[in-house]
Amino acid sequence: MTDHTDTIKKFIIEEFLPDVPPEQLETDYDLLAGGVIDSLGVLRVIVWLEDTFNIALDDTEITPESFHSVEAIHAIIQHTQTPTNAT
Amino acid sequence: MTSQPVDIAISGADRSLALGESAVVGRVMERVRYQPGAPALLWHGERISYGDLGKMVCEARSSLERLELPEEGSVGILAKKSPRAISLILACLLDRRPVLLPSVGLGAETLQRLFAQAGCGHVLSPDASPAAVSGELRCEVLGAAAAEDRSPARSPGVERTALMLTTSGSTGVPKIVPLSVPAVERFTDWAGSRFAITSGTTVLNYAPLNFDLCLLDIWTTLKHGGCVAMVDQDRATDARYLLDLLTTSEVRVIQAVPMLYRLLIDAARDRAHRLESVRHVIVTGDSIPLHTLEALPALFPQARFYNVYGSTETNDSFIHEIDMSDVGARRHIPIGRPVEGVSALVVSDGGRVVEGSGTGELWVATPFQTRGYLTEALNEGKFVSRRDGTGHRTYFRTGDIVRRHDDGSITLEGRTEGYVKVRGVRVSTQAVEQVILQHDQVMEVAVVAVPDDVAGNRLHAVVRRDKTGQLNSLSLRRHCARGLDRVAIPSTIEIVTTPLPKTPTGKVDRQRAHFHRAHKEKST
Repeated sequence: MTDHTDTIKKFIIEEFLPDVPPEQLETDYDLLAGGVIDSLGVLRVIVWLEDTFNIALDDTEITPESFHSVEAIHAIIQHTQTPTNAT
Repeated sequence: MTSQPVDIAISGADRSLALGESAVVGRVMERVRYQPGAPALLWHGERISYGDLGKMVCEARSSLERLELPEEGSVGILAKKSPRAISLILACLLDRRPVLLPSVGLGAETLQRLFAQAGCGHVLSPDASPAAVSGELRCEVLGAAAAEDRSPARSPGVERTALMLTTSGSTGVPKIVPLSVPAVERFTDWAGSRFAITSGTTVLNYAPLNFDLCLLDIWTTLKHGGCVAMVDQDRATDARYLLDLLTTSEVRVIQAVPMLYRLLIDAARDRAHRLESVRHVIVTGDSIPLHTLEALPALFPQARFYNVYGSTETNDSFIHEIDMSDVGARRHIPIGRPVEGVSALVVSDGGRVVEGSGTGELWVATPFQTRGYLTEALNEGKFVSRRDGTGHRTYFRTGDIVRRHDDGSITLEGRTEGYVKVRGVRVSTQAVEQVILQHDQVMEVAVVAVPDDVAGNRLHAVVRRDKTGQLNSLSLRRHCARGLDRVAIPSTIEIVTTPLPKTPTGKVDRQRAHFHRAHKEKST
């Protein structure tokens, strides 16, 4: 399975942390606890995920907590791209 | 110098003293007569003795006489700090004229309104010929003053006014704060004995001439025969100049806003400098970042350190001697305990006086306070009469939210008007600033609420980082997450390297910091 970690990281940095070098953002850093992504930010992440990976998240059970880190967002992509869940 | 002008001045001072008037000016004139060679002011590398100062006061007084001002009427003085400006103020006090001292940085319209409110028929500037403000301003003020004569000197049965200062006006038009002769005397006596300011003590004066801080730096010092080392306002951020001034003038007492200490620490680090002569270091006007505080003992190895809390309306009301061994363990430095003669109340939202530990608005009554703003309509709700053990006393509602701890010490929590709702939660923007300031790579911060359709408000932080250049929004967010509720972490953080805009009283001007950002967004 493709590793999208760097793509996600690049998006988060460009959108929310433009002054931060990519190597400083750990994949398990809690984006919600740090206020990097708030409820409005979550909406932007969802739109980007749907456009970039051609996935639909509407029917998936997701909460803001599902987006709490780069790793967590990566897990959403992997989960929605597995054949059993593909639409 | 000739003796004649001094004799004229002395006779004026004697009259003032006999009538129980300003002992500040009386004591200065005694010094002029008996210790004319003693240093009074240090300015631009020159030493001005009490004799020289007395001569300048006499010259200013002669100029005043030539103007044929109405007897004991108020005057406005529009002046940057200089020995001549100080002489002019002394000359007015000697003539028992209340002096309005606004910031020279205010706009022409605001200045005219203030001079008119104070009933100042004349606005004086010492930097040119007598009555040197443009004829235009003077004429307009005269016209308005006639209609709006609140000259505080004229009310019978009211203590005579010495100085009229103004509030910073960061939230609107500055308010005029008249300080009576007895209030100024009580303060200068307290400050002189508290910080051991006597004949020969050199005190740094960092604040501009119109600041309440000058009541200590300049007027207390001169009253007790000390010497004022005057910082030129135009060079107030020139760290090397400041360090040189402190080194060469053997300063013993410093009172200043945190910014001065930050500048000195940075400048001294490069030169491994120590200021051995300083005995008392007073931090006031704003909260000092812990990392700045922790660096002070290395710079001032012989000094004691104080956090002093006060306002223009009340002057100093709380003092806390800082125990440097204890600093690391605290997140906030207490404002301490009430100064002698000061009564303080912590009043909850519901108007109940909080006994023991708890939070609420701080109300204070001091021996040094104004009897109220000159414009009486502004006093409603700000000055409140309350009965205490000895009778009625007027308390000033500071607007500061404080916490009284179990040990009786008080810390600042924020401002009553500084609260905003973010996603339905009441957040103090000052509390957020306090947490951000504790990051050791942060020099200054302004947190503002930006209206947001969804969240109600979103917080935006403008942060000035230090020279290491390492701070970024992610490292600051990690720091914030340790000390703040998630809702209080700013939605957007802008890191800058240039100083943030300041109010006329030297505090970070949040609205202007925000305006710069909004303006920038518009233009990009």
